[in-house]
Amino acid sequence: MRRALQSMRDGIGFDTMLVILALSYLFVFAGLPLIYNVVISFQTVDVFSLGTLLHPSAGAENYENIFDDRQAGTVLWNTIIFTLGSVAIQFTLGFALALFFHQNFTGATWIRGLFLAAWVMPGLVVGVLWNWLLSGDFGVINHVLESLGIIDQPVFWRSNPDTSLYSVMIANIWYGTPFNMILLAVGLSAIPEDLYEAAELDGANAFQRFWTITLPMMRATIGAVLALGVIFTLQQFDLFAAITQGGPAGSSTVAQYWSWELSFREFDFGRGAVISVLMIVVVLFVSLFYVRSTKAETQL
Amino acid sequence: MTAQIELENVQKHYGTFHALKDIDLSIPKGQFVALVGPSGCGKSTLLRSIAGLERISSGTLSIEGTVVNDMPPRKRDLAMVFQSYALYPHMSVRDNLTYALRLKGVSKADRAKAAQEVAGVIGLQDLLDRKPKELSGGQRQRVAMGRAIIREPKAFLFDEPLSNLDAALRVRMRKEVRALHDRIGATSVYVTHDQIEAMTMADHVVVLQAGVIEQQGAPMALYERPANRFVAGFIGSPAMNFVPGVVTETGRGVRLDMPGAPEIATEIDAAPGRAVDVGLRPEHLAIGASHGTSFPVQVAAVEQTGSSCYLFTEGAPELLVTTDGTSALRAGAAIDLSIAPGQVHLFDPETGLSLRD
Ligand SMILES: Nc1ncnc2c1ncn2[C@@H]1O[C@H](COP(=O)(O)OP(=O)(O)O)[C@@H](O)[C@H]1O
Ligand SMILES: [Mg+2]
Repeated sequence: MRRALQSMRDGIGFDTMLVILALSYLFVFAGLPLIYNVVISFQTVDVFSLGTLLHPSAGAENYENIFDDRQAGTVLWNTIIFTLGSVAIQFTLGFALALFFHQNFTGATWIRGLFLAAWVMPGLVVGVLWNWLLSGDFGVINHVLESLGIIDQPVFWRSNPDTSLYSVMIANIWYGTPFNMILLAVGLSAIPEDLYEAAELDGANAFQRFWTITLPMMRATIGAVLALGVIFTLQQFDLFAAITQGGPAGSSTVAQYWSWELSFREFDFGRGAVISVLMIVVVLFVSLFYVRSTKAETQL
Repeated sequence: MTAQIELENVQKHYGTFHALKDIDLSIPKGQFVALVGPSGCGKSTLLRSIAGLERISSGTLSIEGTVVNDMPPRKRDLAMVFQSYALYPHMSVRDNLTYALRLKGVSKADRAKAAQEVAGVIGLQDLLDRKPKELSGGQRQRVAMGRAIIREPKAFLFDEPLSNLDAALRVRMRKEVRALHDRIGATSVYVTHDQIEAMTMADHVVVLQAGVIEQQGAPMALYERPANRFVAGFIGSPAMNFVPGVVTETGRGVRLDMPGAPEIATEIDAAPGRAVDVGLRPEHLAIGASHGTSFPVQVAAVEQTGSSCYLFTEGAPELLVTTDGTSALRAGAAIDLSIAPGQVHLFDPETGLSLRD
């Protein structure tokens, strides 16, 4: 007993305890639900059987149903467009802003702080805000576009099947850009100033410095930001709920929203779980990429 | 010799802070110039102004006759070795060396050849494929030098390049850097806070203090004829002793303000009765009455390094005396000190200026 206590105080006992704590936390709050989710995806679960631990097996039926669903193609396509589009544009804007604020003009820190304010807003609030901005009759966006002469009659962004997905995407880009900017700004400020000075003396102009110093030095950060961007975008639910509810006619339904609809609108928890399982697989691959990126970072 | 780099009346302000004051400096082609001074005196600022990394506030800076005040660093054709080395961490040693050539559009084959050649000069042939983080401090320092050499620039700028090395390596690199300079024959401007580095490496030493050039000249000229008290105390190691004194009636001697008010002869003409600061280098003070005028002191402490011996005297002001070899003297011993008249320095106590000339 005394030896155990001693190892607790001086040796690896304490470290071991911390690791065990963290692992058990992960297992109970992430591992078990994950496993349960996979299990449910092979079972028939409805509102009545939801309360019981064990449900009748459904074999691969849930999976077959999902792949055969009329909506599946649209949802897959929407998810890809929404995720890649959001991440690409958020990243580009975020990087541009990070570079801009890296110039350190007066007030740069303050304005950067304002961007963070947007980021800490709850998703539903952002959704309501963009509902209003995008509204067809009295929306600010339509008003601006009309006064600039870009459109001559109001566009009903949210209720037009051609634009509904993009209206959520715009809101999501607005919501996610500050996050990209902050992480990329941290990456930028980690590059020692003297590298730029050395490059400048070596004859590199601003563009060459960006290509040969900034980008390669930011590789790890960029990888991490992109991976996190994909993961967060795949988690985006609030904006869909607030702006289009997946409609009209499913034109803006993405995987995560469909999963919620199946589970909590149609109360078919089995099929809802199938989509989460498929998404988990995607996220696992993205996480691997993330881990590889951050590992490169620690090695640099 | 034509001036390669010329500064006329250069000023640099950081906001209200006046970092460089009235800098006039002319560096002939092929010369090795050291900028030396205590930390924060503006050495790096001056070097970075030459490089173009800082913009001078006024005055003119010209390189090979062209005024370059507004020329960006990449057009100045100068190479710099940073204190931090500033190696590109994501590039191999080879890519670090040839970065400038790549920007110039030199072909890959020619770049590889140039890298081989320079690696030979700096002794890094086997390390070309390593990343900077896989190198020791000394090796990184060499890569930084190689990166500068490969470009064959108009001039080399060094900002305390050896200060991150251990003492033994520093002494060796001192010689190597100078040998490299002689071999390449390019102009070098070398910043250091270490006056020994400046004295041993440079043809021309510029002593800076608080943004002002206190004195510039050949190393031995600064040592033998310091223009003011600051230079006298800064150049030479260990530092010069300063004792207040008064010029004697003849004008060819000083009475030291010390116990016993000893008188020593000088070769400097000064008004009799004038108050002065007397500068006595530790290595010029001799034990015994060898130079005629001697004065008695008591030894307070003795430090021996084997090759030389440091004696500290009792009382104020404390004097330091260095002698070669070992010494049998112990604390408490009474000795006589003497100094040759030609080795006594006199300074105005108010302005600190030397009274020589
Ligand atoms: N970018 C800057 N802004 C304001 N003050 C500066 C800046 N760079 C240097 N200084 C000041 O100028 C003085 C000289 O600095 P520096 O040239 O780096 O000294 P050193 O002789 O140690 O190399 C210092 O007092 C420093 O605080
Ligand atoms: Mg410095």
